[in-house]
Amino acid sequence: MKTKKQNINLRQLFRNKLENAEAIPDVSVKSKLMRRVARKEFLRFNPSRLNIYYIAGILVTGIATTVLLFSTSKDYETLLPESSTAILNKTDTTKFAEVPVKQIVRKEPEKSFVIHNESIKSKTSSQQRDTAGPEVRKVNNLQNANPIYHPVINYAISGKGVFSKSVDDKKKLQSGFNTEPNLIELFESSGCAPLKLRFYNKSTPYDSCRWTFGDGGFSNERDPEWIFDVEGEYKIALQVFGRDGRNSISTTTVNVYPRPQAHFEITPEKAVIPNDEIHFLNYSTNAVQFRWDFGDGSTSEFFDPSHTYAKYSNYNVSLVVFSDRGCSDTLKVVNAFSGSEYFIDFPNAFIPNTQGPSGGYYSSKSDEAAQVFHPSYTGVTEYHLKIFSKLGILIFESSDINLGWDGYLKGQLCESGVYIWKVRGKFINGEPFIKMGDVTMLKN
Amino acid sequence: MMSDQQIIELCAKHDRKAQQILYDRYSRLLLGVCLRYASDKAEAEDILQDSFLKIFYNIQDYSGSGSFIGWLRKVTVNTAITHYHKNLKYRYSVEIEEYESIETGVISFEEDFYTSDELYKVLNELPTGYRMVFNLYAVEGYKHKEIAEMLGIDTNTSKSQYSRAKAVIRDKLEKLGKLKSSYSDLN
Repeated sequence: MKTKKQNINLRQLFRNKLENAEAIPDVSVKSKLMRRVARKEFLRFNPSRLNIYYIAGILVTGIATTVLLFSTSKDYETLLPESSTAILNKTDTTKFAEVPVKQIVRKEPEKSFVIHNESIKSKTSSQQRDTAGPEVRKVNNLQNANPIYHPVINYAISGKGVFSKSVDDKKKLQSGFNTEPNLIELFESSGCAPLKLRFYNKSTPYDSCRWTFGDGGFSNERDPEWIFDVEGEYKIALQVFGRDGRNSISTTTVNVYPRPQAHFEITPEKAVIPNDEIHFLNYSTNAVQFRWDFGDGSTSEFFDPSHTYAKYSNYNVSLVVFSDRGCSDTLKVVNAFSGSEYFIDFPNAFIPNTQGPSGGYYSSKSDEAAQVFHPSYTGVTEYHLKIFSKLGILIFESSDINLGWDGYLKGQLCESGVYIWKVRGKFINGEPFIKMGDVTMLKN
Repeated sequence: MMSDQQIIELCAKHDRKAQQILYDRYSRLLLGVCLRYASDKAEAEDILQDSFLKIFYNIQDYSGSGSFIGWLRKVTVNTAITHYHKNLKYRYSVEIEEYESIETGVISFEEDFYTSDELYKVLNELPTGYRMVFNLYAVEGYKHKEIAEMLGIDTNTSKSQYSRAKAVIRDKLEKLGKLKSSYSDLN
């Protein structure tokens, strides 16, 4: 009989029972942990204690430094031109004059290179060869100056190869653009992110042009295609450099709207179908309209719908959400109620306790010696186990999965040998199972 | 038998032996904590490992005042939260409307009726978000505001998840209770 019969609420129940509850970790956890500690210690290079690692560390660093010392002098020479040509190849396949660069650029090669190389997009290879040396030198000189220089230099060079002009000249050049409103043709000027648009340049006559897209990107193509990844309002500018020396500029605006994100969770996580009412918890962002498809032919437009399925099956649940701008996003959960994680398995042998019947109740802790014949399982809701002797006599029957067979029949220990078992039942998602097999009863 | 204080001092010097003693002494208790935050034992053991690494390498942060077990427990809970964030399936960025919890069915429970194994199982089966909030609020005793900060969710989300978690748990316990009493009736 119970000595204490105290009624408490849910919170107290869990706190009392679990706050100081203990569980025995697997032995492997400790060894794994100590291995990880050892690895960490190894990386820590503690000189006072772990001498082997210390020496190993000195050895490794010693070898590394010698190797490094030998290689750096060579590397420095070879690395530079490699990286420079790599960048160049993106825009122009003609070989670039490497020699002068190598000699001049020593300290901050990347910086000057990127600038240089973006700027020569529209030029011919012969121009490049002529200009590479002096231009780089110039950029180098400017490096300590205001960074505003960089785009200006770019811009001047991409115009007509006027790299040697002073800043004042460039300003004059820039102000010489005529603003013309209708050089840009665009079929759509707004859409959902990521938005892909093709821009058309309507100007004639035309020699070269430059598009800036307002997100830091630009293009020198005539009719470029551009993708806007982030929502926002973008100012598009098109500069056209005419053959007759007349330059014009045109602007337009593109609106990129945010795309909503469809997110939902299904609860209960391990639902019983068809018994449970399934709740769909909506975590979508940026959305104003929702279209649910529960996979069994029914749909809903509620925010957090609930649904009850008529029979067990694997359903695909999908949610389409729409923003106020009509942008949409879809999340589809395939086999939302799949029961692959549920199983039931039986051992093929057990050793009953010869001291007397235990009643058959077991837990993973109490039955470490395998004294009770019972299944290992997850997600079983209905269960019926029968055990027969070789002669076909029903020895044991149980409808409670927590009740296994202790090897006794009416208080008498049965003979050791082979017994036949048969189980049928249902998993909690409604899926039925039937299994049979044999088990050997051993005796100590 | 070394005292906790001695072990802490040695662990701060990365003494391997002391670390092992610390593990042997507290791993059972801390696994008990981890189990509440995990969906199975393997996950709990992962959290346990990470917790001990944190404990070994941050033991100098333990101020000496306050209970050492409390500190260990706190590190473990924080590790479980980090683990939860790492494995987060969904971002809770939408405010969920205040959830009116409906207190139905059994409100009070008999303490000795359920074993801790059964309670662990109920927790393990909860959706991860519910489990975090329920543990932090009911067992650890944090406020909803603190939980919201720890998990990076809204205070109302924490509240509503707690009431939903309670409803789910109550439901499960009731089912389990029926099963158990139907057996004891047979006897």
